Amino acid sequence: MRAQLRARRILVIAKLTGVELVRRRVALGMLTALPLAFYGGSVGRGGGAVITGGVAMAFSIAGASIFVALTARPVDPRLILAGYHPTELLLGRLLLLELFGVLVAGVFSVVMVFGSNPSDPWALAAGVALVALTSVPFGLAVGGLAPHELEGVLALIGVVGVQLTLYSTQLMAKFLPFWGGQRLLDHSVNPGITVGAAVPANILYAAALFAIATYIMRRQAPSVGGAARHGAGTSTPVRVL
Amino acid sequence: MPVTAERPLRAEPTRARPLTRTSPPALAAVAVTKAYGPRRVLDGVSLTVAPGESVAIIGENGAGKSTLMRICAGLIRPDGGGVTVSGRVGYCPQEPGLFDLLTADEHFAMFAPALGLPREQAIREGRRLLSEFAFPLHQQAQCRRLSGGSRQKLNLALALLGGAHVLLLDEPYQGFDHGAYVSFWEHVASWAAAGIGVVVVTHLLADQALVDRVVEMNIAACEPS
Repeated sequence: MRAQLRARRILVIAKLTGVELVRRRVALGMLTALPLAFYGGSVGRGGGAVITGGVAMAFSIAGASIFVALTARPVDPRLILAGYHPTELLLGRLLLLELFGVLVAGVFSVVMVFGSNPSDPWALAAGVALVALTSVPFGLAVGGLAPHELEGVLALIGVVGVQLTLYSTQLMAKFLPFWGGQRLLDHSVNPGITVGAAVPANILYAAALFAIATYIMRRQAPSVGGAARHGAGTSTPVRVL
Repeated sequence: MPVTAERPLRAEPTRARPLTRTSPPALAAVAVTKAYGPRRVLDGVSLTVAPGESVAIIGENGAGKSTLMRICAGLIRPDGGGVTVSGRVGYCPQEPGLFDLLTADEHFAMFAPALGLPREQAIREGRRLLSEFAFPLHQQAQCRRLSGGSRQKLNLALALLGGAHVLLLDEPYQGFDHGAYVSFWEHVASWAAAGIGVVVVTHLLADQALVDRVVEMNIAACEPS
């Protein structure tokens, strides 16, 4: 019963986040056009276009995630006060944004497979999917930390921009969140590049980003959700009157 | 300027709703302190509200009224002291926290599972609350297309949705037209009559006759009027 209620809450948040996201048609269109522009601009330069386009897709999905997190910030305390658990809010958004990410990644994979004819199209699809998977917790974490949209967008441009300038074999690339995806994309056009531990490392990175987003959300959450006593040093209801 | 509470706020209900052992206060804030950096906003402030009592908090800008409300709602933690709330809190912030691209119904639908209400019931109840304040229900507009007053009405309705034992309303009538403003104060009386503890932050002197008790917060001192 409790699990059902939690599931319902998560689905309601996912659904209404989707409704809100779809209504941002212009922003969504621009966000999706951006990686396409990166890909289109570099398509004449051989296999590098796939890596550029695939990693630049993070602009689209992480950008949407940042906007979702920042838009919800003033409302979240009230939702938690009403009875939501902070994790339910995050999971609902994660669910919707990952679905959005899968959709964008699917379309983008098809475009790049037909546009660049990579030697390993499945690796390309997996690389794009990994970038999409990582973009959501990255965006939610940045959205939780950034005080305003400007700072959030600058962080996004900074991280994705630096990842775009690096080869996947460079040491610094390994410390950035989209390294696994970048490596898979690299492998899809350069079979000599091995993937190795890049994928599990990337998945762990994504999990850590989601943990950070959860921590931020819980820290900012109200200290009480119903009949309770709260005061200095307490963070959860301790007494119901 | 440091902010101090020379005298703690005290609950002295003026109507026949005395605090007894069997009726715990709806809200009891005891010796609450809060500072933002070096600036001390609240210093040992206490406030008790009985079930069925309506209290207006007045005071100049920067006296810590909204901070006290946020602490009582559990939105921010006090540096010292504590708050005990009896039952569910309905909190209406000064700035409407709404999703600009969602409609009023969608807001009610979002709050429904948190409040343990079926979606349709939450929407029905939300609409009823809005209709009491002449909200333009027929428009079904996204919040970004609503007037300031209509946004504030939705803000208030969300605080009331699902019922509450304590209402914390931080200048909830901003942007209301005259009719809605009058209606709001009539509702305060009816909520109190129904046993809800109601706290309203207000700047308007005329409002003070409409509640059981007025509490004044000053930057230098916080004291009951």
